[in-house]
Amino acid sequence: MSVSATWYLTLAAVLFTIGAVGLLVRRNVLVMFMCVELMLNAANLTFVTFARRLNDIAGQTAVFFVLVVAAAEVVVGLGIIVSIYRRRPGATADDLHGLKG
Amino acid sequence: MTSTFPYLTTLILLPAGAAVVIALIPSAQRRLVQVVGFVASLAVLGIASAATVAFTSGYGGYQFVSSHQWISVFGISWSLGMDGISLFLVLMTGLLFPIALAASGERAADKSFVAWILVLEAGCLGGFLALDLLLFFVFFELTLVPVYFVIAGWGHERRGYAAGKFFLYTLGASAFLFVGILALVAIHASQTGVTTFDVRALTDTHLSGTAGVLLFLGFTAAFAVKMPLFPFHTWSPDAYREAPAAGSLLLAGVMAKLGAYGIIRFDLALFPRAVVTLAPLLLSLGAIGIIYGAIVAAVERDLKRLVAYSSLAHLGFIVIGAFAISREALTGAVLQMVNHGLYTAALFILIALLYKRLGTFSVKEMRGLQRRMPVLAGVFTLVMLASIGVPGLNGFVGEFLILAGTFLTHRWWAVVATAGVVLAAVYLLWAYQQAFQGKPTIEAGAVHDLSWREGLTLAPLVILIVLLGIFPGPLLNRIGPSVTQVVTHVEVVAHQRPPQVGSPGVALRTTGAQR
Amino acid sequence: MKLLAVLTIVTPHVNYVAILPELILIGGALLLLVSGQLVFAKIPTAFYSIGSGAIAAAALVASLVIWHDVQARGPFTTIADSVAVDGFAIVFLVLVSCILILASAIANDFLVREGIDGPEYHVLALLAGSGAMLMAAANDLILIFVALEIMSIPLYILAGMDSRRRESGEAAIKYFVLGAFSSAIFVYGIALVYGATGSTNLPQIASYLNTNIITSNGVLLAGLGLLLVGFGFKVSAVPFHMWTPDVYQGAPTPATGFMTALAKAGGFAALLRVFFSTFGVLRTDWQPLLWAIAIVTLLLGAILGLVQRDVKRMLAYSSINHAGFILVGLAAATSQGISGSVYYVFVYAILVLGSFAVITLVGGKGDENHDLDAYRGLGRRQPVLAFAFALLLLGQTGIPLTTGFLAKLYVITAAVRAHSYALAVIAMLSAAIAAAFYLRLVFLMYGVKLPVGSGGDEGALSLPVTGEPDDGLDPTGSVPTGVNIGRVVVPVPTAVAIFVTVAVTVVFGIWPGPLVDFVHAAHFLF
Repeated sequence: MSVSATWYLTLAAVLFTIGAVGLLVRRNVLVMFMCVELMLNAANLTFVTFARRLNDIAGQTAVFFVLVVAAAEVVVGLGIIVSIYRRRPGATADDLHGLKG
Repeated sequence: MTSTFPYLTTLILLPAGAAVVIALIPSAQRRLVQVVGFVASLAVLGIASAATVAFTSGYGGYQFVSSHQWISVFGISWSLGMDGISLFLVLMTGLLFPIALAASGERAADKSFVAWILVLEAGCLGGFLALDLLLFFVFFELTLVPVYFVIAGWGHERRGYAAGKFFLYTLGASAFLFVGILALVAIHASQTGVTTFDVRALTDTHLSGTAGVLLFLGFTAAFAVKMPLFPFHTWSPDAYREAPAAGSLLLAGVMAKLGAYGIIRFDLALFPRAVVTLAPLLLSLGAIGIIYGAIVAAVERDLKRLVAYSSLAHLGFIVIGAFAISREALTGAVLQMVNHGLYTAALFILIALLYKRLGTFSVKEMRGLQRRMPVLAGVFTLVMLASIGVPGLNGFVGEFLILAGTFLTHRWWAVVATAGVVLAAVYLLWAYQQAFQGKPTIEAGAVHDLSWREGLTLAPLVILIVLLGIFPGPLLNRIGPSVTQVVTHVEVVAHQRPPQVGSPGVALRTTGAQR
Repeated sequence: MKLLAVLTIVTPHVNYVAILPELILIGGALLLLVSGQLVFAKIPTAFYSIGSGAIAAAALVASLVIWHDVQARGPFTTIADSVAVDGFAIVFLVLVSCILILASAIANDFLVREGIDGPEYHVLALLAGSGAMLMAAANDLILIFVALEIMSIPLYILAGMDSRRRESGEAAIKYFVLGAFSSAIFVYGIALVYGATGSTNLPQIASYLNTNIITSNGVLLAGLGLLLVGFGFKVSAVPFHMWTPDVYQGAPTPATGFMTALAKAGGFAALLRVFFSTFGVLRTDWQPLLWAIAIVTLLLGAILGLVQRDVKRMLAYSSINHAGFILVGLAAATSQGISGSVYYVFVYAILVLGSFAVITLVGGKGDENHDLDAYRGLGRRQPVLAFAFALLLLGQTGIPLTTGFLAKLYVITAAVRAHSYALAVIAMLSAAIAAAFYLRLVFLMYGVKLPVGSGGDEGALSLPVTGEPDDGLDPTGSVPTGVNIGRVVVPVPTAVAIFVTVAVTVVFGIWPGPLVDFVHAAHFLF
């Protein structure tokens, strides 16, 4: 039984939504960060599916760019997180309340 | 006219340049600041007088026109011109600024105060002289900044509040003017293919009924707030009350005229049909302003606020004169703008003198001042009578012309406005009676009468109040032809069918534009 | 595997001159980074600042060379059509170079004052600058995404640069999480657009849209909407603005100014190109959306700005209001509107750099003196600095004879020509509301007396006034405790930078020809 492209796209959309909702409701910065990764990979899945359906390689190459960027984001993001939480315990977004107007 | 001296450009650039010079003087050099400021404002008066002398009487068009490209990308030009309507406003502006500086005492040596006052003078003169709509807007807006600083920096207790309220009201209202100007120019450009802000060219724009009415309302909103016209006046009692004497004087004397001038110069010229359609509305607002201002003034015990409300009433007269669309009424309105500037300035100076002696603006705390300061009381009486509109003083001529002209075209509004004259007599005489008559509460010798320096500051105003009451002829000769042109333009355009020259495409685009 | 077998991959030709400014910035940044390790002696901070300024200046020269080239030969594309070298890109190349030069001067004094040694600040700034340049020149959605990240990632770090202040780290993490979130949304938008049109290349998308009549393609419109969300985050348009006030307040002040100018420049460059040039055919679909976003952005920025006590937060809301104005130009969807938006971005970037430079100075050592009260009486303590700041604020207000007025005139003209009168009126009303908080700051600087004996008072306002009413009623400015009102130290490089921003604001406000003509060159290739 062959799986049509629509299923992949739907899966990607579901993953993306899970990621987006997760980022908005979870308070742990690391988990929020993982949600972002989920969203990026949902996009990657979409790219690949469309590339296959369009029989076009550009979509597949796009995935590489996204992966590289995601890796760079991980590096910097973790760096920032570490530099902050070295000086304070816990890693929830609710602890970040020094800034408000 | 034979001379090619650029009167108008000089009129604007001289105070602006003087402001820059003053900004460069070290602020410790207070005498130098005072002298430079006063001399510069006197020089402006001199140039304005020279322009008045050189002005060709009996010609209604613009004179001393100077046009230079400024921002060609947007089609904005530095075009200035003067006609009978702006002539005496310019002269009055030139006169009131040195008087304002003279009435400011030690403050006239404050570097930033003098610089802001001169910037304000440049802005006001630019507003009266601009023939380019956007240039007018630039000056119109630019006047806000110095007034804000003058009120906020040198005003009374609630100056921050008053200055902010004034600024926001006016800036908010000019949003409509700004968009209105741009829309008018866009419609004009779509009809002719030429992007220009020149008011002389824009007069020919063909506007559909709705577009004309909407643009008229947009323009008038800004002017009505600036004047102020009822019900857009709520900023003015606060601003007049909290501003220093020079600020109140210039706000009421000059800035208010910028709004009234805008109505006469731009509303009447650009939207004649909308003017005729909406004249009853504006006339009613003017009439309500007269009655409302008079009633509130009657119960107001703070002298400065009282004058603010009486100004509201007087500006109501000017609005009625402008929208009555008759030659006499409009002439009267223009004349009344000058007259109101003169006697209101004198009133504010007198009130400041009272404050200096008594430390209060409240009529309740004044009593029997006539006995203690007979000369000051005499001058006050004279100026007050001018404000009421007693024959023989300048206030009478303008109000009479307005009422006579309005009676011809819009009878019932004239009747209501006449009631306002009676009310004015009531509240001013009442206030006068309370403050100046009766048993003095202060001891003899506790306050001194008018000093020669204070008298000298008031003298030009008092002389003009009397002189213009007896000989208004020279003014009327110069105002008349320009007013005739405006009124003829309104009548010709408004009572005709829409011009037939427009192609169907043009009509389509203008209707599209009103959405 | 079948897919790969049929396609032979051809390495595209690369015109290196066309991307010279970006290369100079990246190469220069790397050189700066290692230069510290090449010599054994400790290199003073000023060296890095000068180096960074010089690199940016070299990028400026390279941009002008390309401009000359484009004027002579016309616009072109390179690297397999993924980079467009047109007037539009070059205007932004020049703008970004100028931002970098000014920012390096401003940052130097800050770094010296705060004792943040090393080249990192400048290296990151240069890298972010190269990202912004690429965003303006990118002609492919994937490249826009990569450039967006090249710009954003260094900005996240810059926001957290001042490691001793807790707020700085907090700003960094907020900026980072929301930035990454918006990037993910953006990528997903690209994927959907790719699925709907079969390409990520902007001209190819445009030609696809031109040849195929698309009515309500859900995937395409969803993709477009997600792209708008991604851009909306970067340029802080409501409702994607939540991070702005926090990040502006927490980030080191010179970084805030730099970030504002750069992110607005890069973000709007790509936004304008993608929406107007590529998806121009679909304008009836996105115009109402942009119209609505512009209105809420304008109003929310102006209204919330009113209640702020922290100057940096206040300017954050002001930047939201300005973003609304720039969107007004795009919502008009005419070439005049685009020129207006470009002009607005240009003018605003300069204004905001100058404003934050002043705030950096007033912030004082520790970068903490940002309450409105810190500005009380500045006009009398330091008239020149206060006057410069007042001019910058009046420029942001849009008072005539400043570039800010012309920028508003430009976009509002475009809106009026596009018959969106309501938008035009609301925009100007929001400017009037925003004027209230700019003026409050100006009023604080000029309006209130200093407590007796705090020095520097030349007595202008405190002399006994004789000829006038109302003396002695002045509430002598009660400066709350904890606010440092000492003399603000004004180092020369920052002073020069502020002077340049003020001069640009006033000179081109009165004589706008050259700047307007330059911005007029901002035409799209496609």
